[in-house]
Amino acid sequence: MFCGIDLGSRSVKLVIMDHNSVQRSELFETVQFYRQYGRPTPEGLVVDFKAVGIGENCDVVATGYGRNTISIVGATVIAELKAHTVGAIWQTGLTNFTVLDLGGQDSKVIKVRNGKMVDFATNDKCAASTGRYLENMATVLGISLEELSAYRENPVELSATCAIFGESELIGRIVEGYSVAELSAGVNYTIFKRIKPMLTSLKSETIIFTGGVALGSAIGQIIESELGIKVIVPKYPQLNGAIGCAVHGQEKRR
Amino acid sequence: MARIGITTTVPVEIILAAGHIPVDLNNVFINDKEATRLVEVAEDAGYPRNICGWIKGLYSVVVDGGNIDKVIAVTQGDCSNTHALMETLQLVGVEIIPFAYPFDQDRDILKLQMNKLITALGTDWASVMAVKKRLDQVRGKVAELDRLTWQDNTVSGFHNHLYQVSCSDFNGDVDVFERDVEEFVKKAQAAPEYTEDLRLGFIGVPPIFNDLYDHFQKMGARVVFNEVQRQFAMPYHVDDLVEQYRMYTYPYGVFRRIEDIKVEIEKRNLDGIVHYVQSFCFRQIEDMIFREKLDIPILTIEGDKPGKLDARTKLRMDSFLEMLR
Repeated sequence: MFCGIDLGSRSVKLVIMDHNSVQRSELFETVQFYRQYGRPTPEGLVVDFKAVGIGENCDVVATGYGRNTISIVGATVIAELKAHTVGAIWQTGLTNFTVLDLGGQDSKVIKVRNGKMVDFATNDKCAASTGRYLENMATVLGISLEELSAYRENPVELSATCAIFGESELIGRIVEGYSVAELSAGVNYTIFKRIKPMLTSLKSETIIFTGGVALGSAIGQIIESELGIKVIVPKYPQLNGAIGCAVHGQEKRR
Repeated sequence: MARIGITTTVPVEIILAAGHIPVDLNNVFINDKEATRLVEVAEDAGYPRNICGWIKGLYSVVVDGGNIDKVIAVTQGDCSNTHALMETLQLVGVEIIPFAYPFDQDRDILKLQMNKLITALGTDWASVMAVKKRLDQVRGKVAELDRLTWQDNTVSGFHNHLYQVSCSDFNGDVDVFERDVEEFVKKAQAAPEYTEDLRLGFIGVPPIFNDLYDHFQKMGARVVFNEVQRQFAMPYHVDDLVEQYRMYTYPYGVFRRIEDIKVEIEKRNLDGIVHYVQSFCFRQIEDMIFREKLDIPILTIEGDKPGKLDARTKLRMDSFLEMLR
């Protein structure tokens, strides 16, 4: 068995795989995961593998905040963008595409050619194009994240470059009388505008859309209609990095 | 003998010929153990948060006990934030001497600027040329250090950066600096070769991070080309001083820099380029030109405040090296 762990900013994703399929997957809230199962030691983070359900004969490969920032005792740690590339290839069977991963605080765009990462871009210094922004906006609108991420028609124009100031801008629009559907579409369209330059410069015929944000339908549809390219959301968008880790473990074993 | 602060590389020969001590304010700022506090001093004085960290550091070095008598501010060929830096320094009574590199490298205008600086500091061309001859010897030794970096592979990316960047003011004492370089070169000549599998070029202004070179080296990649720092060291071997400052690429727009970078990519057999940009700097826009014109993988990293690399930047560096392998 092979285990992949993706230590994200908002959630920790864990998958157990055999040679061809995902056998089990878990999602932990990040802080809770560290508190409950992690113990910092001078050698690195010790994770209670047994408590999270990882058997002794399992090869553990992990990714997260930089290979040199995290170190998990007993696990091989690989670079995050590599994990996402490998995961996307395994999930789709494609070798030429662009990965768009929108996670808790990250936006990553990876151009893959012949199964190899050839270029990438990530958000830097600002997390306004990520899941956390959507969560905040859903809270302001008083709706669930699932509902927010379904709207795309008649988007309200939102211009704040800061995710925090975006909240007060959204409140201003609520006062102006726009509907929840229009406001939500505006929020989704804002995400598209922020990632559009990265997607344009690292364009492929196909985009593989992953990360928690890919669970909603609107953003993928906006990308398809605005950029005229195919967007594929794989079966496990949120687990893509963890799957990449587990697959990497398998490939190393061979 | 006055201590003359400079905001970037200027014809340092003139300052030395006038018998003064050149002090590159950037080097004082970044080598200060409390560099972060210096940024805060400027912010407390009213500098906006979303303005370049270097400019704030330079301001504070002068107003916060830097022991600087006057400042030569480069008003063209570096950055327009320098204008406000000049003005805010004038506001607190600092004497400013402006110096401008002509955008089109016009020889007459550059010579006029140098003449004005010579007059302002009270020296003459004969003395300036004597200093130039002296500095040529030192520049030659630094050029050898650079060669040892990429050809003999016995110098780290950090030391390559350090010695070349110091050529803006020769650490205020040419003789001491020269001895330091000589000793270093002697050691490097006998040192074992570095064996990293990746060779990187660093382009853009010097980084505000203090562990960038070490981090790359720790990850198996070595910077063997420091573009702007090498320009500060001026390895051109020309007799004419005006021509030397015309050949200096940094102040004259991006396309001349690109020509220089292209030559060095080939010569030094680079695997990838790291383009460093400072937060809120106009040079961030030029990143698109480098990406269009240079046919080599480029990683753009952005720094804001002085200190260590943040986790996100490390993640991106890590992924870039992974991609090159």
